[in-house]
Amino acid sequence: MSQDQPGRAPVPQLDADAGPAPVAGGDQDAARPGGARRRRRLSLGVQAAVFVAAIIVIALAVDWQTVGESVFNFAAVAPMFPDIILVGFGNTLLYTVTSFAVGLVGGMLLALMRMSAFPPYRWLATVYTEFFRGVPALLVFLAFGYGVPFAFGVQWPIPVVVMASLGLVSAAYISETLRAGLQAVPKGQYEAARSLGMPGWRAMVTIVIPQAFRLVLPPLTNEVILLTKDSSLVYVLGLAAHEFELTKFGRDGITALGAGLTPVLVAGLMYLIITVPLSLLARRFESRSSRGSRS
Amino acid sequence: MTHPSPAGPAAPTVNASGVSITGLNKSYGANHVLKGIDLTVAPGEVVCLIGPSGSGKSTLLRCVNLLEVPDSGTVTVGGFEATDEDVDLNAMRRHVGMVFQQFNLFPHLTVLENCTVAQVKVLRRGKGEAAEVARTNLERVGLAGMEKRFPDQLSGGQQQRVAIARALSMDPQLMLFDEPTSALDPETVGEVLAVMRRLAGVGMTMLVVTHEMSFAREVADRVVFMDGGVVVEEGPAAQVIGNPQQQRTQDFLARVLNPADVDF
Repeated sequence: MSQDQPGRAPVPQLDADAGPAPVAGGDQDAARPGGARRRRRLSLGVQAAVFVAAIIVIALAVDWQTVGESVFNFAAVAPMFPDIILVGFGNTLLYTVTSFAVGLVGGMLLALMRMSAFPPYRWLATVYTEFFRGVPALLVFLAFGYGVPFAFGVQWPIPVVVMASLGLVSAAYISETLRAGLQAVPKGQYEAARSLGMPGWRAMVTIVIPQAFRLVLPPLTNEVILLTKDSSLVYVLGLAAHEFELTKFGRDGITALGAGLTPVLVAGLMYLIITVPLSLLARRFESRSSRGSRS
Repeated sequence: MTHPSPAGPAAPTVNASGVSITGLNKSYGANHVLKGIDLTVAPGEVVCLIGPSGSGKSTLLRCVNLLEVPDSGTVTVGGFEATDEDVDLNAMRRHVGMVFQQFNLFPHLTVLENCTVAQVKVLRRGKGEAAEVARTNLERVGLAGMEKRFPDQLSGGQQQRVAIARALSMDPQLMLFDEPTSALDPETVGEVLAVMRRLAGVGMTMLVVTHEMSFAREVADRVVFMDGGVVVEEGPAAQVIGNPQQQRTQDFLARVLNPADVDF
């Protein structure tokens, strides 16, 4: 599933200069014909040509009339509001935040177990991590949505099912991230803390873990982005209207509104409202931590 | 026995305690690093450990506060039998300050917080009192006014002096120095040695692993030369460095004091 590629932060590189930059020192090329600068200019020219050609082909090939009616038909999706924001957007946020909370606490626990001196803890944490990284999150949803009531005779509320399933899955991924962070903190930090009389747990809590967190903030932010998107998997369970999240609103809108895919586009834009700022945040953390050793 | 120090004594008197090491052995796998070391440091005494790299000096030092656990032998620090299974190591370490070659300052904390965190979390001092103690000690090492900086904003010499202030803020009765100037740029070595010299002057018990022979000769009450995991020679600094009796000591000192003259 999507969590297999944690580096897949979905932010288009908007600031990259797309067009061929005008070359100022053209006369210097004469000094060394066929030089690197000239090849670079040629390469930029080819890229620009391909780009323009692709846009022309698309513009000619697409049936704009139909697209306008069934993808960008924003006038017809008015009935989705305000519920898609109040209920859908809200629920997506709720499902993401609660499952991240579970994932973070569970992930930290697993990471510490992985590093424990007591072997059974290490085995348990390894088995857990491999299991939940190895099965699709969709199956975990099904297990908690249908398996739990079947096995125990209780039906958990949907938010609890989402929190448990996504939380347990993300705990496996987060634990690996945190473990890498904990191990990246130099051993001397722990020794210095112990030499000041701190017990081992105190040295971890006050000295090592805060430093590890700063190191793993960018990958953790990516994990939140993945969770935001994976919360859409809840569609496999039967939802009551007040439990709908963005994707469910989008899917229902297709059948109800006669505006084609426009409701899905609206839902997609709402996901971006959550994920793009997170992505920018992650990039800021990254540049900050690469600047100084303080991170 | 944490004595809440009254706010900032300008010329602190040190409640010193000694070290007694007997029959210490330590191996890493087949590598026998310490071979039956006996060593004492009297309260208020400054002892410098010298010797070639790999001779076991740093391991010996790290055995004193049990950062390395010896295989056999005893270490007694003040009233603490450090090698006793039942000893409260954390209580013992409160009285033993340690300064590392790589400083090991906490990079996510300010200079002041580096000096207060253990006071607050370990000695349970109030924040105000801890800050007061920290400021006094930062002043002692010549870093007044640097409280709000982060370690990566300081030079190596300044960082090492913060590390000394951090250790002193716990009111230790013994200070361990593990090659405190080996990671420093040459021009900042002097400021760290000056702080250590002053510390020795007020009667702090110090055990120092060092390659600074002039410092050892000037400040140490006693110099211990180690090679191959054993103490080869020990005595007053002037004798061990100025007039070594053992061949191995003479060879080592010839290499260290006149590195340009070494023949192969």
